[in-house]
Amino acid sequence: MHTADTLLNTAPTGGFYFERFGLTHEALRRIMAAALARGADDCDLFFEHARSTSVSLADNKVNAAGTSVDLGMGVRARAGDRVGYAYTEDLSIGALVRAADTAAAIAAGGPTREPGAIKAVQIPNYYPVKRRWEDVGLDVRVPMVRRWEAAAFAADPRVEKVQAYIADTERNILIVRPDGRLIEDFQPMTRAFLVCTVRDGERRETNSANIAGRAGLEFYDDETRHERLVSKAVERSTFLLDAVRPPAGEMPVVLAPGASGILLHEAIGHGMEADFTRKGTSIYAARMGKSIAPDFVTIVDDGTLPGERGSINVDDEGNPTEKTVLVEDGVLRSYIHDEISAAHYKVAPTGSGRRESFRSVPMPRMRSTYMESGPHDPGDIIRSVKKGIYCASFSNGQVQIGAGDFSFYMKHGWLIEDGKLTQPIKEVNIIGNGPAALEKVEMVGNDLELDEGGWTCGKEGQGVPVSQGQPTVKVASLVVGGVS
Amino acid sequence: MATHFDRESAERAVALAVSKGAAEVKAWGSWSTHAELSQREGAIEKSAEATTQGLSLSLLVDDRFSSHSTSDLRPDALEALIDRAVAATRYLEPDPERRMLEREKMGAIDRGPLELEDLGFDAVDPALRLQRVGELEAAVKALNPGDMVSTTAHVWAARSETRVVFSNGFAADAASTSFGFGAEATIREDSGKLPEGYSFYSARHRDDLPQVDFVAEELWERINRVREAGPCESGRYAMILPGRSAGRVLSTTLGPLMGGSIWQGRSLFQDKLGERIASDKFTVYSDPAIPRGMGSHSFDGDGQAATRRTIIEDGVLQTFLLDVYHARKLGREPTSGRLANVIVPPGARSPEAIAASFPRAIRVDAFVGGNANSTTGDFSFGIRGQLLENGVPVKNLSEMNVSGNLVDLLASYAEAGNDPWTWSSYRVPTLLFEGVQFSGT
Repeated sequence: MHTADTLLNTAPTGGFYFERFGLTHEALRRIMAAALARGADDCDLFFEHARSTSVSLADNKVNAAGTSVDLGMGVRARAGDRVGYAYTEDLSIGALVRAADTAAAIAAGGPTREPGAIKAVQIPNYYPVKRRWEDVGLDVRVPMVRRWEAAAFAADPRVEKVQAYIADTERNILIVRPDGRLIEDFQPMTRAFLVCTVRDGERRETNSANIAGRAGLEFYDDETRHERLVSKAVERSTFLLDAVRPPAGEMPVVLAPGASGILLHEAIGHGMEADFTRKGTSIYAARMGKSIAPDFVTIVDDGTLPGERGSINVDDEGNPTEKTVLVEDGVLRSYIHDEISAAHYKVAPTGSGRRESFRSVPMPRMRSTYMESGPHDPGDIIRSVKKGIYCASFSNGQVQIGAGDFSFYMKHGWLIEDGKLTQPIKEVNIIGNGPAALEKVEMVGNDLELDEGGWTCGKEGQGVPVSQGQPTVKVASLVVGGVS
Repeated sequence: MATHFDRESAERAVALAVSKGAAEVKAWGSWSTHAELSQREGAIEKSAEATTQGLSLSLLVDDRFSSHSTSDLRPDALEALIDRAVAATRYLEPDPERRMLEREKMGAIDRGPLELEDLGFDAVDPALRLQRVGELEAAVKALNPGDMVSTTAHVWAARSETRVVFSNGFAADAASTSFGFGAEATIREDSGKLPEGYSFYSARHRDDLPQVDFVAEELWERINRVREAGPCESGRYAMILPGRSAGRVLSTTLGPLMGGSIWQGRSLFQDKLGERIASDKFTVYSDPAIPRGMGSHSFDGDGQAATRRTIIEDGVLQTFLLDVYHARKLGREPTSGRLANVIVPPGARSPEAIAASFPRAIRVDAFVGGNANSTTGDFSFGIRGQLLENGVPVKNLSEMNVSGNLVDLLASYAEAGNDPWTWSSYRVPTLLFEGVQFSGT
């Protein structure tokens, strides 16, 4: 792990906003004073300037590009667990103070608090960038998508159409708090996406692969990334040509390592978000300290993994991020907190207060969620199943926090018959109940993988980038949405 | 904060981009204001308000295409963005099908009769929102049978304006309001499960919203359908799909008809124009001109006047949903890529009468995750609902999936109820499909 002082990512002086938008410490204190003027206990100012670029290829041509700029400030005033929120894209001092006045109205009077002297806070850097995307022209991006396209066509004669995209975002954020903390972060993101349509006679299938990380152009220096992107997209597409729908009903489900972390994300992750638990609306609300899974299950939500899509140097409330152990040896250890839920439970925030943009209030959100490796050999796990399915790739999932019902969609996999992978299978939704599924985790492989795909988690209309991972896992029984 | 719409921002952006070398430009200026309140345990939990403005641009430079959006409308920032955008676009390959439609083919239908704007929006006293959110929370609590853990009531209102300007001289405006409210509640079961239910409504005009008591009663009715739920036996059942949840099946059907899917070879309906793709009882059309409709509009993204289109009639596919770009690629006439209000004509019988005619059926009240493959039509969705025997609910269902292929599902369509759902752009009655595969125990 790198040390904080060698990786300091921006000069901790509020440089970006002070330079570009003429903000001063005095102005920031004035805006906070307005947010606190009606008696709010606390407030935060969240400035954001995000620049995105994408290039796309279709029909054998690099024929579209896009850019977007998002600039603004959100201000939150808090009175206990009550929240007033406003935002503005106009960063003139008058508009900023007006937004703060609007947010302030949540408080119903009481003593006012004077914002303290502003002091920049140094934060670690889990995603140091060598080559910033703002210095990279389309002339560099264009050959990359062309290369993936050419490799996809070369990989298999059944590839009929290819679409390729590369997209990046560079986001500067500045958070200011009445205790004087000023925190800046530079958050890069890149994502590459490849879609293949393949044809064999009259049969046609489409599938895709993508890779993502918090990095600059150097992300693509690793040749194996290009190869994996192409081979996964082509193989996952051609695989479907020979695949059938699995049978319907309850059966053992073995999950391949990697993206199967979607099981954790849906079956337990959302239910551990402490805005739900503090309201008593999560099925995990009363289970802290209790055993909820076999003792070889340890589940982590971590914001500090170098270069991961789900990593953050600081959360969107200005708190340090961390590695949070949610389940340790089968026992529930910690929820995922923002400041409001942490205050409710009288614990330290876990650095998980995240938001989609300055237009949104922060909430407890996941970062990189994964299960630690367990004691079992992956081969033994497959051999232990007489009749079931093996899920290799996934597209999406969902959960109902209170009832605990969760589902995830398997894109491709195999039937398991008498301990062997046999018939290729495809396109099936798998559904279960979170706590019941965790109790039914029978085996955990010793082969943890973090998925390199670009996952986005949605909650109350806000999307945030996340990562997920898992070793090979066997769940004794889930409902497989096949056809009989 | 922009307190009112800068209506000329799109014109200025078009002029600037043309002066920088773009041959064709389309600019959308947009502005909106919204307010939302939520209340829990007798106090406002969250109050959010904002007014926001943005600009989107599409450029054609030497027949090369790019698109851009920004919320940084400072003049120098906008000029820098356009400078960079024009220069960057030249790195792309020509795609002449991106050229805009001829001016004489552009237009818009009269906005007035659409009534998309509640002209009383600015006159609504914010205190009325406070009052309504309080009344709703109280009404939900008053009906609590004793096992409620939490309820949150929500109220919101929004007004938006947009102006689109094309460099060929065509320009059009749109404006709409929306008002909404509703509540969610969670109950505790002996099993430790905390099932939740909700009831939300939104409408273009404030006075069209239902009464507070109606929403509270419906919320508890819906919660009663999720109590003590579990899976039933796997098998084929009649599927009764209320209009409120039918959007999922309709969007899965219509998605593969969009130009992008057809052109990219990712549609199971690729070669099916004029052919039967559904039961001869199935008709669906798109109508942009329904007053106060959530999907009503007067023009599309290509600047074409909105028109009513029959998409599937008596089971036969009548049209693809082609924007100008993909229509040119396919050598066809554009039919608009913008769906309006999606309508399945109502039938004669009530949903209760339909359900009563089956010894066993599953009514799907909500979809839980799942996905569909537009290339093959394979689908698999998680569901919640009720098992009905001769129309009588006998079990609340959860942890089940419905799976199959869209071709078979559409062929199994049998009947529409007489109860069109009018609160979304999918204005669809209860739909009946026979012999649908569900998986459970």
